[in-house]
Amino acid sequence: MDWNFIPLAFGQIVSPLTIGYALAALGLAVHFGFTGLLNFGQAGFMAVGGYFFAITTVKFDWPLWSSLIACVVGAVLFALLLGIPTLRLRADYLSIVTIAAAEIVRYTVKTPAISKFTGGSDGINGAGRDFYAMNPIPEGQYGFGVLTYNNNQLWSIIVGWAVVLIAALLVWQLMRSPWGRVIKGIREDEDAVRSLGKNVTWYKMQSLILGGVLAALGTVLIIIPTSLQPDNYGTQTTFFLYTIVLLGGATTVFGPILGSIIFWIVLNLADGVLSILVLNHLVPITSIQQGPIRFIIVGIALMILVIFRPQGILGKKREAQFSE
Amino acid sequence: MVKALRARPALLRVVLALLAFALAAAVFVFATPSAHAAPNSGGVPTVDTTPAPADSPQSIGIWVRVAADKSNVPNISVKVTGKGVTQTVVTGADGKISVPLAKPGTFTIELDTASLPEGLKVLGDNPREVTVSTGNQGVPGYFLLGTGDSSVVPSATASPGAGGSSDSGSKSSESLADRVLPRIATGLIFGLLIALASIGVSLIYGTTGLNNFAHGELVTFGALTGYVVSGVLDMPGWLGIASALVLGGVFGYVQDLGLWQPLRKKGIGLIPLMIVSIGLSLALRYIFQFIFGPDLLITPNNQTAVLNIGPIHLRGTDISSPIICIVVLLLVAFALLRTRIGKATRAVADNRSLAAATGINVERVIRIVWVAGGALAGLSGALIGYYQPVSWQTGASILLLIFASVTLGGLGTAFGALVGSLVIGLIVDLSQAFGVPSNMKFVAALLVMIIILIFRPQGILGRKDRIG
Repeated sequence: MDWNFIPLAFGQIVSPLTIGYALAALGLAVHFGFTGLLNFGQAGFMAVGGYFFAITTVKFDWPLWSSLIACVVGAVLFALLLGIPTLRLRADYLSIVTIAAAEIVRYTVKTPAISKFTGGSDGINGAGRDFYAMNPIPEGQYGFGVLTYNNNQLWSIIVGWAVVLIAALLVWQLMRSPWGRVIKGIREDEDAVRSLGKNVTWYKMQSLILGGVLAALGTVLIIIPTSLQPDNYGTQTTFFLYTIVLLGGATTVFGPILGSIIFWIVLNLADGVLSILVLNHLVPITSIQQGPIRFIIVGIALMILVIFRPQGILGKKREAQFSE
Repeated sequence: MVKALRARPALLRVVLALLAFALAAAVFVFATPSAHAAPNSGGVPTVDTTPAPADSPQSIGIWVRVAADKSNVPNISVKVTGKGVTQTVVTGADGKISVPLAKPGTFTIELDTASLPEGLKVLGDNPREVTVSTGNQGVPGYFLLGTGDSSVVPSATASPGAGGSSDSGSKSSESLADRVLPRIATGLIFGLLIALASIGVSLIYGTTGLNNFAHGELVTFGALTGYVVSGVLDMPGWLGIASALVLGGVFGYVQDLGLWQPLRKKGIGLIPLMIVSIGLSLALRYIFQFIFGPDLLITPNNQTAVLNIGPIHLRGTDISSPIICIVVLLLVAFALLRTRIGKATRAVADNRSLAAATGINVERVIRIVWVAGGALAGLSGALIGYYQPVSWQTGASILLLIFASVTLGGLGTAFGALVGSLVIGLIVDLSQAFGVPSNMKFVAALLVMIIILIFRPQGILGRKDRIG
């Protein structure tokens, strides 16, 4: 039997998906955990950021720094677009509008009419051009056994985790600041904060922008070492992020990062174990049936987490009521 | 509550008038010679398995698979002939190839038997004909390969897109009415199908406050039940529809009994409940895929037209489905307005504590709402199975349209859901008549929803005090 899947699963700690999802989940924690915004369109923020970055880099040949600015601007515009009509309304309106907007983004980028820019259903490759050109690490293979990376992969891992840690520190400091106390106050009792003279809608908008920008940058970390595929940003991506956030602790800063690591390791371990069982005919399912099982696991895990441990691994129960 | 009941007779008239209009419009459009497209030539969302090429108005999606394990077969050469086209294409690594067509018409697809893997032959007809109407993208030409005899496989071209539609020549010869009227018909029918599911969402929202993201899976459940009963067990179609209705109700009952009622008792907030429904939706959706596989499933349907008026060829189900919808919707409207339990339901939706104080058993009302919501969603799913091939994600793909309908009509108002559904159905189909590409039709509906939310957040029939 091939046991390589075990080190490979733990190698997920440095995979682009784990790093990118950690950042996007941190953004979602800002929305959902700290502010109480029910954003079901985080995948939309990710897609917008990814496309702004990839199109400006690959199709317009912009340098890295200006593509990054474009990516941030895209996320801010998307947040304003979603926030202005819905932030005044009840929480469920935001959820419906955001999930719809995320799907609009996905359908739109797949439209053949604009595939000259978006690449249609195939997406965009090669967004890492300038990023790799800046790579100071000498060429070669680094690591051991099955976990060996070339200099470019190593470069994106180092930069990726550095970005995640800087973002986490930033969010941590922000949430300790007066601004963060207002944000958490909105989660606990919006009307009380409003009665103190704070502009609740504007604070919510700032939170939506901050979390959205984090999600957009998370996508950049994913698509630099891989590629940009529109169908990777469907509704299930948002649901994965919710599972990650609730697993680690929605009201904490390091919870989403821990959640992302655990999520991808567990998912890959489960896949590996299943593959072995299926290949050796130890369970009566076909290899086609193996695919959906990871999603069934995620769905059930999400339900169990919300019902029995809404505060996640790191959170405090007191903070995780999420009452309206 | 009293206020709510008093306010309703006007609503009743609106709703009855609307249903009558829908019925009349459906009959009118069916009877109009220019309405020559079947109610599904693009009206109902098709699962996005065959991406259409960018530049041609029509296309055929060819997909070759082995019947036994559903594995895709690459490198099969396929010849497409008809309407001045003679083209030989080769299937890709996923067993699929899309053939762009400049003009609509009837085409012959033939698999080159010499290029088949050894020991396999084509099940079903080869060569076979498919009909492509104006604007149809990815009309399925699916082939299954196997070793057995060919009688077990239903004709894989029995697709809605090809079903009862006749080709209409080039676009330039069509008048505006020619393009718009069929779309109105398909839009209204699609709207009625969504309405069945939307009313459940709206009632559950109204009585419990829960935005049920797992409602799409109730629709899928009904669609798959219909497929199993009439497709796998070879029972008559009405039995499939009836069992989808009944089992859908049972599914709703079980869900409330086993999950939602305990969670309500536990005092879990609405937002966590909504996330639970998302987890449930994800789990159920992939359990369906685990059982039924990732493929499109075709509910057997009599493809012969029973009604021919000029160029129109209507199948029996094209006429009976909207009638079933309208009858059921009228029954629901009657139950809500005239029966004790219906009045109790509206009372609970209006003010739960007040309803409980007047002696209404709120939990019992909610249980009944879940059963009714499940049954209506199941019925909706089974009927959708007669318009398009169903799959594990049939319900998930229309969930957002259901939400759009409910939001458009006003969250928590049953009749608003009906109005919203008809509007959404019309937008989805009419947008295509006015040049919106077919893969953007959902976008049109979702955009309209967002725009409505900006200007009238309570929806068409909602009340302002509920949205704050």
